[in-house]
Amino acid sequence: MKRRLFAILLALLLVSGSLTACGGRGNADVHVFYYTFSDTYVSSVRSTLDSQLTAAGLSYQDYDGNGNQTTQTEQIRTAITKGARALLVNIVNTGSDDAANEIVGLARDAGISLIFFNREVSDSVISSYDNCAFVGTRAEEAGLLQGEMVGEYLLEHYSDIDLNNDGVISYILFKGEEGNNEAIYRTKYSVEKANELLMAAGKKPLRFYDTSNSNGYLVDQNGQWSSAAANDYMNTVLASHNTTNGNMVELVICNNDSMAEGAVSALNAAGYNKGGTSTTIPVFGVDATEAAKTLIKDGKMVGTVQQDATGMAQALSLLTANALDDTKTLMDGTGDMAVDENVRKIRIPYAKYFG
Amino acid sequence: MKIKVIEKFKAMEGRERKAYLSELLINNSLYIFLIATIILIQCLNPRFLSWPSIINIISLSAANLPIALGIAGAIILTGTDLSAGRIVGLVACVSAALLQSSNYAGKMFPNLDTLPIFVVFLIAIAIGALVGAINGFCTATFHLHPFIVTLSTQLIAYGALLLFLMIGNNNGQSLSGLDPTYTNFIKGSAISLGGTPIPNYVWYVLVITAIMWVVWNKTTFGKNMFAVGSNPDAANVSGVNVKRVIILVFMLAGLLYGVTGFIEAARIGSNSAATGLNYELDAIAACVIGGVSFVGGTGKIGGVILGVVLLRLIFVGLTFLGIDANMQYIIKGLIILIACAIDMRKYLVRR
Repeated sequence: MKRRLFAILLALLLVSGSLTACGGRGNADVHVFYYTFSDTYVSSVRSTLDSQLTAAGLSYQDYDGNGNQTTQTEQIRTAITKGARALLVNIVNTGSDDAANEIVGLARDAGISLIFFNREVSDSVISSYDNCAFVGTRAEEAGLLQGEMVGEYLLEHYSDIDLNNDGVISYILFKGEEGNNEAIYRTKYSVEKANELLMAAGKKPLRFYDTSNSNGYLVDQNGQWSSAAANDYMNTVLASHNTTNGNMVELVICNNDSMAEGAVSALNAAGYNKGGTSTTIPVFGVDATEAAKTLIKDGKMVGTVQQDATGMAQALSLLTANALDDTKTLMDGTGDMAVDENVRKIRIPYAKYFG
Repeated sequence: MKIKVIEKFKAMEGRERKAYLSELLINNSLYIFLIATIILIQCLNPRFLSWPSIINIISLSAANLPIALGIAGAIILTGTDLSAGRIVGLVACVSAALLQSSNYAGKMFPNLDTLPIFVVFLIAIAIGALVGAINGFCTATFHLHPFIVTLSTQLIAYGALLLFLMIGNNNGQSLSGLDPTYTNFIKGSAISLGGTPIPNYVWYVLVITAIMWVVWNKTTFGKNMFAVGSNPDAANVSGVNVKRVIILVFMLAGLLYGVTGFIEAARIGSNSAATGLNYELDAIAACVIGGVSFVGGTGKIGGVILGVVLLRLIFVGLTFLGIDANMQYIIKGLIILIACAIDMRKYLVRR
């Protein structure tokens, strides 16, 4: 008896569930695929884009790829069979073109527009299908801007930052993830650009705090760009490198703001970067999250590179509207945006943020 | 006692002695490995055994201990708990949201005054205990393996966390800007050792560990837990309420994840959906390294502590030596494998 009641209840639940799905967003025109919902920056793109699409009167559905390309490709297949009219894809796998090419193939067969965003795909993928475009940043730009900020700031405050007065700034760098282009470029260019500026001014290049580490970075082993990873590393490093030992890390460069927050938290716990008279180690991040902006305002962090979530969402909703309008081509009205030559790639500029 | 052992050893024949010694070596190989590791790293980098470094290892271990103590209970019942990490993440984010300082610009609940720390702590462990109780209830009532139950609740907890992060004007941003009284309560320091402050949470974890030792070793509930773990049918026959024990073990585990999340939120200072990810795997690894066997019914608090410390020691040691992060995976994997092989061997010998 009990078991039968349970089965009936379960069946009712399923039926009511499927009914609400029909009445809700089941037949959306625009389908947006995010590589993961847990990414802070991508989440701010998502909430801005959601409200812009709603304001434009477009029906949409969001998907969470959960960091898994297979999941995302299956979601895209399902969305196409459901009658999607435009696909917005924040692709998971940026390492090779295979996944992107497969998605382009799916969109071409269905005859619908496809817009990649945030995580970059190569030019040949975009050019292989007329109704395909990319909206994102230039991967190397964040690193270059961060390096510029670091270099300029160091030159301005060199003697204050060089705590042990040995004429060299020792630094630590937190990398978000192995094998991710953004992380690779940020890691490479931030240091290279800073060194370029330092050497032009007659200073010695930066030195990684631990000379036995040939990589020149410490990486989040879970590939999550997480504050916890940066925090654990920073705590461990501060145990042997501090002002008492005269070998303090004099500069902290982070691939993103979450890691910068974790580093600041560890520095605070060890008595640094607390404002007032405490020793302050310059910390740099990327993303300009609300938390990082507050840290910069409080003097606990120096600067970050701003990624323009609103700008990206605006470009995306413009392209989406074009895609759904038969009288327009995909790139109509993008004349005032930064577009690459020869390929439909819209670049949203980064900006330096010092607060 | 010791003299007796020596006398016994003296009475042995040559071959017997050899076997006895090798047995002794194998059974204590983890301790030997631990000491050898410490000596090796110390030789290569003399700062390894300085006060700041020792306290760093202790505090990193302390932060990872409550979750391991919780999961150990589930393993003793021949189960496991995959939901631990996500529960930590959920609790950390809820605690952070409720304890953001009132003048923080990106506050999730702008109209909410900063709640008393104790109230939020109760909410934190209540959330953990609730999810834990659900785990235990489903395991005991539907006779499902905890692997399946917690595989499901792990997803549910993650979904709840993602929904939670979109509430108010937060828009999926990470939660930080915590109230200073909260961060001081966790990260502040009342006592210093060798000039290095010891974070307060180390003491809280110490108290919790002591309580857990009493629960495991001195209470009927603890004895019942081991009884159910080694043979649920026998326990049932001898009058133990097996279902109740299973639910309570998982609930206690959830409560400890709640404690971990509450500490983690302030310790890291920035909380997002990635908080807590894969924590359960480290905790399970720590348990099995420390001899909490998947066979069920065996495990000691001391073993769990040993496992947690060993894993942290590997992390800190390899960072000290500047060894490639890729090697850490391999070394960690090998240690877990070898430790479990030795543990299983002991178990077979005893049988």
